[in-house]
Amino acid sequence: MVRTLSAMTLLFLASAAHAHTPICDCYDNGDDTITCEGGFSDGGTAQGIPMRIVDTSGRVLIEGAMSDNSDFTFAKPNVDFLVEFEGGEGHVIQIDGRDIEE
Amino acid sequence: MIRRDSAMSVRRWAVLLVAMFFSSAEAHFQLLYTPEAALQSSSAVPLALVFSHPFNNGYTMDMGAPEEFYVVSQRGAEAPRRTTDLMEFLEPVTWSGVETQAAAFIANPPRRVTRSLGDYTYVLRPAPYYEAGEDKYIQQVTKTVINVGGLPGAWDEPLGLPVEIVPLDKPYANWVGGVFRAVVTAGGQPVPHAEVEIEYLNHEPQIDARRFDSDGKVTAPQDSFITLSIRADANGQVMIGLPKAGWWGICALDLDDGLEHDGKELSLDAVLWVQAKDMVR
Repeated sequence: MVRTLSAMTLLFLASAAHAHTPICDCYDNGDDTITCEGGFSDGGTAQGIPMRIVDTSGRVLIEGAMSDNSDFTFAKPNVDFLVEFEGGEGHVIQIDGRDIEE
Repeated sequence: MIRRDSAMSVRRWAVLLVAMFFSSAEAHFQLLYTPEAALQSSSAVPLALVFSHPFNNGYTMDMGAPEEFYVVSQRGAEAPRRTTDLMEFLEPVTWSGVETQAAAFIANPPRRVTRSLGDYTYVLRPAPYYEAGEDKYIQQVTKTVINVGGLPGAWDEPLGLPVEIVPLDKPYANWVGGVFRAVVTAGGQPVPHAEVEIEYLNHEPQIDARRFDSDGKVTAPQDSFITLSIRADANGQVMIGLPKAGWWGICALDLDDGLEHDGKELSLDAVLWVQAKDMVR
């Protein structure tokens, strides 16, 4: 949780000059899948925003994009992983898989 | 020289007058309280439903079983709204005010209810409360809006309630020293010059202990400051200042003329809660 908050805080600081802050959060569905939701601070949709699930060495495990509903569901990897939400203009939100709760 | 029975009578009248004076200086407010309106990330949201006087909390009133209690959520401006009934999470409790105890409710919905990003508008339609002092019933349709993660949703949309205060500013994102604006409506239409009362939640609710903090945060310099009585403008709009961090209650009174409950007049009021935050490093 602390790591997630740190990641979000860093992102907020990094993007403080932008009117629309990208936002992403994930939860464990309890069925070996994880859902991530995204959007922007003006209420804008995250539809089509690229999503990457990488292992701790940076190797891409899963790639995809946010759905029409601004969410992305993937099978929970068997290894430690990071979720990357490509928020635009070089700003990537990273969420540590160990911080994702049900 | 005053005879003993006359002295008693004078004392009794004095007590009554003081009671009347205090009751006119503070207003009934339906609380729909949670500690934090702007959550960094999703978590379970505890709630306290108490009928009280937020500034002094000298007298807390018994609540009957609520008629409706639910939350309307929306993740993003374009997303569909979702309504989640919360009646199953109501737990009757005895709530301690500064001077009295009364029947109230708490609710601890699990995290799954507020697991998504976005806005969550809690709606409470309490049972009508019989106010003996005025020989009428009061029912306050109450909204509290919170947000998860900074992604907004339907905070500015009316929910189609019979009486409703519709925000023009986010009720969960207000700096101390700013202003908050809203429109008072009945039947979906603005109510020109509506009678409105404002109170600061001076005694912080302590949900786990089921009581208000006995220490208030501020002192009113005079009774006019306990309940700020104002009028909406010709378009039903109200604008209030937020000079202190915490929760501020806005109550628009008696918005639907001619209603009755159990053969008595029913005052149908609308309440909205707004949270202000200090600007700190």
